[in-house]
Amino acid sequence: MFKPLPMKQVMIQLLLEDLPQASLTLAELGSFSPYSAEKYADDFPNIPGNHYRNIYHQARSRLQKIEGHIQLARPAASLTTHVISETELTQTNEWLGEVWERCSAYEEHFRRLTDEAHMLTQLEQALNNFATLNIDLTLLHGERLFLDLHIGILPSANVQQLKEAIGLANYLLFSYMENAGQTHVIILGPKGTRENELSSVLDTAGFHALEIPPELHDEPERIRHDLELRHLSLDKEKQQREAAMLACADELRSQLEQCRDILIMAEPFVTIEDAARSVGDLAIITGWVPEKVVKQVEAKLRSILPIPVSITAVTPRREEHSLVPTFLPTNWLTAPFSSLVKQYGVPRYGEINPTLVFAISFIAMFGMMFGDVGHGLVIALAAWIGRSRLKSFTPFAICAGLSATLFGLLYGSLFGYEHLFHAIWLPPLSDPLYMLSMALLWGIGFMVIISLLFIHNRLVSGELSRALFDTNGVVSITFYLSVLGGVYNLYQTGSFGVVPASMSIITLLALLAFKLIETHATPGERMLVATIETFETLTGYISNTLSFLRVAAFSLNHVALAIAVFTLADMMGETGHWLMVIGGNLFILILEGAIVTIQALRLEYYEGFSRFFSGDGKEFTPLKLSLEGLK
Amino acid sequence: MTRAAVMAGQLLDESDVVTLLHTPLAQLEKQFGLEGISDRGLSEAELNRAIERGLITTLMNELSILLRPAKGSARDILIYWSRKFELYNLKALIRGKLHDLPYEQIRESLHILPSLISLPHEQLLRTEDIPELLRQLEQTPYEGIANQARRVFEEKNEPFSLDATIDQRYYTGLLKHARACDIVDQPPLLRLIGSLIDRQNLPWLLRYRLNYKLSPTETYYLMVPSGRQLQPDLLKRLVNMQEIEQIVDALPASLKEQITEPATIMGIELAMAERMTHQARRCLMFSPSAVTRSLAYMMLRELDLKRVFAIIQGRVLKLNEQLIRQAADINPEVLSV
Repeated sequence: MFKPLPMKQVMIQLLLEDLPQASLTLAELGSFSPYSAEKYADDFPNIPGNHYRNIYHQARSRLQKIEGHIQLARPAASLTTHVISETELTQTNEWLGEVWERCSAYEEHFRRLTDEAHMLTQLEQALNNFATLNIDLTLLHGERLFLDLHIGILPSANVQQLKEAIGLANYLLFSYMENAGQTHVIILGPKGTRENELSSVLDTAGFHALEIPPELHDEPERIRHDLELRHLSLDKEKQQREAAMLACADELRSQLEQCRDILIMAEPFVTIEDAARSVGDLAIITGWVPEKVVKQVEAKLRSILPIPVSITAVTPRREEHSLVPTFLPTNWLTAPFSSLVKQYGVPRYGEINPTLVFAISFIAMFGMMFGDVGHGLVIALAAWIGRSRLKSFTPFAICAGLSATLFGLLYGSLFGYEHLFHAIWLPPLSDPLYMLSMALLWGIGFMVIISLLFIHNRLVSGELSRALFDTNGVVSITFYLSVLGGVYNLYQTGSFGVVPASMSIITLLALLAFKLIETHATPGERMLVATIETFETLTGYISNTLSFLRVAAFSLNHVALAIAVFTLADMMGETGHWLMVIGGNLFILILEGAIVTIQALRLEYYEGFSRFFSGDGKEFTPLKLSLEGLK
Repeated sequence: MTRAAVMAGQLLDESDVVTLLHTPLAQLEKQFGLEGISDRGLSEAELNRAIERGLITTLMNELSILLRPAKGSARDILIYWSRKFELYNLKALIRGKLHDLPYEQIRESLHILPSLISLPHEQLLRTEDIPELLRQLEQTPYEGIANQARRVFEEKNEPFSLDATIDQRYYTGLLKHARACDIVDQPPLLRLIGSLIDRQNLPWLLRYRLNYKLSPTETYYLMVPSGRQLQPDLLKRLVNMQEIEQIVDALPASLKEQITEPATIMGIELAMAERMTHQARRCLMFSPSAVTRSLAYMMLRELDLKRVFAIIQGRVLKLNEQLIRQAADINPEVLSV
């Protein structure tokens, strides 16, 4: 609960031919995280399965592309597994290649149809343009004795350069219309030896010829009708293609789903990569397994594999802790809080798991800032109703709602009404200074706990000097508490007190000495840096503690907002009054609810996690069958 | 003092490059963030890739430092300049697919770049033919290039035109970005980019006309307009010439005198590169425009790192010093220090 699960570094020795089966079994168990076996490279120089891996990746890529056209059902919750041989994988890959070829041809054809439709639109616009001109369009057609003439479109970006280039071959370019990045042009020049030269450069410039019907002037309606028919024919062809693709999808879906399952079963051997090494017929797999399931893994492998395997499980040394993945066990209640912790980072192996501290302090702070029985119950109820959308975050929202309800009882508040029942503790606005002092005490307690977590984490990683002297270490927290004690004395008796004063000075000097030793620079710079950093430790504690005043500030703000809503409601008639009360409460629920959530998270991340939690651990990612599909 | 001016201290002069020839390899590797590269037993291809990747990472890190204070169009042009590396990847991808090279081989030839300018390599590598590759490219910021490339591919079905089109698009885009910069930045930027375009245009004009036998019209079309010394009128005259000597004779005097006799395309390319380096150094030292200085720095740094790449590669492969000098373009007159 408070610490990641103890892990063992395991090495499984087995026959090379059993590797795929072992990988599949380990994936089914879901308790093995592969780790590179590079340190055994001298004895086991080969990384098996490279060819298998290449085939798998190609097949997987093909399936993903196909899934863009053919929707597959989700994989079954439990697969009947078997080892996927290279032959079976190759056949699957080849078949997927054939299917992808069909899909790709469909994509390409569809793209061509879209291009054609675009060209047709361009032609229509060109014809509209020509129809208004009083020229004989037959002049634009047929072979001419002295004139080489081209009508068409090209990307507008290429027009100027093309115009200058073809000028070298004595051609002229006239643009008469621009539309959607394409320019309509007429190109003409003398017939003769340079026609081939022109055709090559036109290709390079992306010129598309447009066929202008000579009868446009005489029979414009027929031409327009022809174009409409061509549009319709293109649309019809698109629809036919789409229908054919749908039919193809129906025909292939079940086989594709089988292929997807094959890939899921092949994936463990692929994912294992260089965690598996071999020499001759012997192979090893290295990785991490939670200590409590090592026996189970061993028993399962021994029962599945025909030839006995040898498993060695070693406890990682402290200096290896940076390599060990962190496994934070969760349940339905802690899962959402764990996700929010991971948003910040994963604790290093051996460090305190901050999930529980986070969960309790977050829920408490949310309640303190948003204490209202009505609002809390609405949040809890809404979370329950919307549980299918919130999924694993449902308990998070329900806990926040119940916390707000509890603090609502303490504050005596129901939908902002403060007189409907008697507060168990006190309404926040009745004594704001008391509320602020309570928030300050909460902050001090929070800071002390965070510093203790920091000290623990540093001790676990063998950094004794940091545990003692670093910011948040033993000396720092003693300094913080002695200063607080002195300030309290000053407030109560008018004197700082000898003990707090001497403790403050001693710890301050110890901090300064540590910073001086730690800083590597010239003497002057060292002194400057150490002084500033020591001063920063002090100001950091002060500002972080004061940050918690917001807990009280938001509880006051909550009441103040309710008062504002009621004041506005009282200015209206009966219907308006109730509409205002309901609207105002919704406003408080949504806007203030969101702000309070963000503020509580901010306090956790900034004043809490940043002080004790480096967040650069590696998450335990076990080998498993990707039943969520390959996306 | 601007960041570019501070970073200019890292640029190498000829004697620095010669010193690198004799610096202990481990120190050299450390200096350019390639620690232990010679001890990993990499194959020649892997080594090239690792060194190249390390140096591009250095370049991109430096670019990100220059980008920090840059805003708007100044930032855009610096990012756009760096897209050239992604265009190398794009060409490698297209060429690889056109020649049906295996996935691994194409992947080996791609630079790893920051996500800001990087294409979705894995997705593009997994395409199975050119039309599919182009369809995928149409979904990226390189849509314009993809459309153009499709036309060229469909009409001509060969990668050379694609490369030329991609280059032309890139330089035209660079000019467009320069013209979008603040009015005070435009003249120095256009001068600097003009030199870069001249350096690109002249050797390619010679290759298109003399090696690939393209027509004057097509050659001119593939040129990037708005060079610094090779203005459109001059280019139009040059593309109509048939001999390298004729072309050299028609060049502006200042350019011609830098080209050693007998004129070769390689010699002309070197002379143009030298001119561009000279222009970039002048911009870095004297230009009043911060974005021009930053761009000049990046151009010079890229050239430096290419030379460093050649030296490290040669040293790791234990090549003959003369060969390394040649690859790193070290002037034979500069003696070892």
